Amino acid sequence: MDKQLGFYVDIASCTGCKACQVACKDKNNLPVGIRWRKVFQYEGGEWIRQQDGQMIPSSVYAYSVSSACAHCENPVCAQVCPTAAISKRADGIVLIDAEKCIGCRYCSWACPYGAPQFDEDAGVMTKCNMCYDLVDKGENPACVEACPYRAMDFGPISELRQKYGDFADPAPLPDPSITKPSVIYNPNRVTKSSKQADGHMVNLEEL
Amino acid sequence: MNVHDWALIAFTILVQMSIGSLWVLLLAHLFAARKYSVEAADRLSDRALYALIPVIALGFLASLLHLGNPFSAYRAVTNLGTSWLSREILFGVIFAILATVYAFMQWRKIGSVGLRNIIGWLAAIDGLVMVYCMSNVYMLASQPAWNTWATPISFYAATFLLGALAMGAAFVANYTYLQRKEPGCADEQCTLMRETLRWVALAAVILLGVELVVLPIYLVALASGSATGLASVKLMAGSFGWMLALRVLLAFLGAGVFGLFLYQNAMSAGKEKMVGSMAYLAFIVVLAAEVLGRVLFYVSHVRIGI
Repeated sequence: MDKQLGFYVDIASCTGCKACQVACKDKNNLPVGIRWRKVFQYEGGEWIRQQDGQMIPSSVYAYSVSSACAHCENPVCAQVCPTAAISKRADGIVLIDAEKCIGCRYCSWACPYGAPQFDEDAGVMTKCNMCYDLVDKGENPACVEACPYRAMDFGPISELRQKYGDFADPAPLPDPSITKPSVIYNPNRVTKSSKQADGHMVNLEEL
Repeated sequence: MNVHDWALIAFTILVQMSIGSLWVLLLAHLFAARKYSVEAADRLSDRALYALIPVIALGFLASLLHLGNPFSAYRAVTNLGTSWLSREILFGVIFAILATVYAFMQWRKIGSVGLRNIIGWLAAIDGLVMVYCMSNVYMLASQPAWNTWATPISFYAATFLLGALAMGAAFVANYTYLQRKEPGCADEQCTLMRETLRWVALAAVILLGVELVVLPIYLVALASGSATGLASVKLMAGSFGWMLALRVLLAFLGAGVFGLFLYQNAMSAGKEKMVGSMAYLAFIVVLAAEVLGRVLFYVSHVRIGI
């Protein structure tokens, strides 16, 4: 097997501008309602009320997490798919074969990253394909190229881990032990892990 | 709730009910054949068996409605190696085929009694395997509300509870039909109906007990297991609390109150009419309870992650 490819996202540099999300939608010509890459805005913490009624922020925090299909080492979507429509390429990219998919949506129950999404018009599931057409030409996926803060990187996940570490579960992402994702993050100073998650997503209506 | 969820609710309820029904039907047939004769047993259960086939067909038709691409449904059995959904469909299709073959052989009296019984029992056993696969379909690591032992227990409980009461109602309908056709003919059939109803009622009361014991243990374990599990329990006890309460109330009324009444009165002479009405009512009320329970199952699961 070739080296498993993966994404790196630097939460410390990310401003939540969603250029990655839009670049993905544009490059892949996604219909309304389907977003292969999503930016989750996560907030938490408390304010302290003083005696004079003034509020002072004490532990308030906010950060953004850009997430798409994690092209997992353990792709539960592919295991549960009844038609074997989801497969993993030699370079680790997880792909849905639209010819085989019957649109039962079972993969969307199994995937904890919300990656497989149903295309109502086509009647099949779709998800991030890591822009494999660009990757095959030696280029980076559209999201990585689009980031104005250069907060994303792409390549063999082993090399990315060597360079950036192996933190994989900023809240609200799930515990990575379920699927072993091929995505790593650089936390900023307030980033919580999935186990410390005590905040909430604030942009639910746009997800 | 959307049409896809309703399709799955209809599919799981109808197929589980059919599997449970076949078990009860075969047991009743066995009992009647031992007590009287194979002819008497056939007269007891054959019409119920014919009624079962459209129910199974309806269940599988419903399952197609939740697909984006129903014309390719046949491909759903191509990942048996790792997909419980593939296995569920495979054993489901085998169940449908064997049950239909059994019904056809009973109708035309093809083959020996022994051969027919073997086909029937093979269908029934295959059905239990299907319910096992069906439970595993939902036991996903990212779905705490489903990934518990309560899923197979409640699926099997629903299978036999619905099967028992559906057959109770079917035997009453069969007896009513026989009596209308040839009044006074059916002494033997009357006894058979009464005795099977008594067993059906006993089974219903026991299965209700199982459901009532499992539910609180399940809710407590789920709420204390994980934040995601707690979110599910909050849905079940919060915005869908009325549904949970109604589901328990209806199950208690149908299987408990009506079941106990059936158990006590099934054998009393002269009460056939009332007992019959009660058997119909128990089935309808418990069916409503199980449908509500299944709706709750699909609306209250919260997935781990995003």
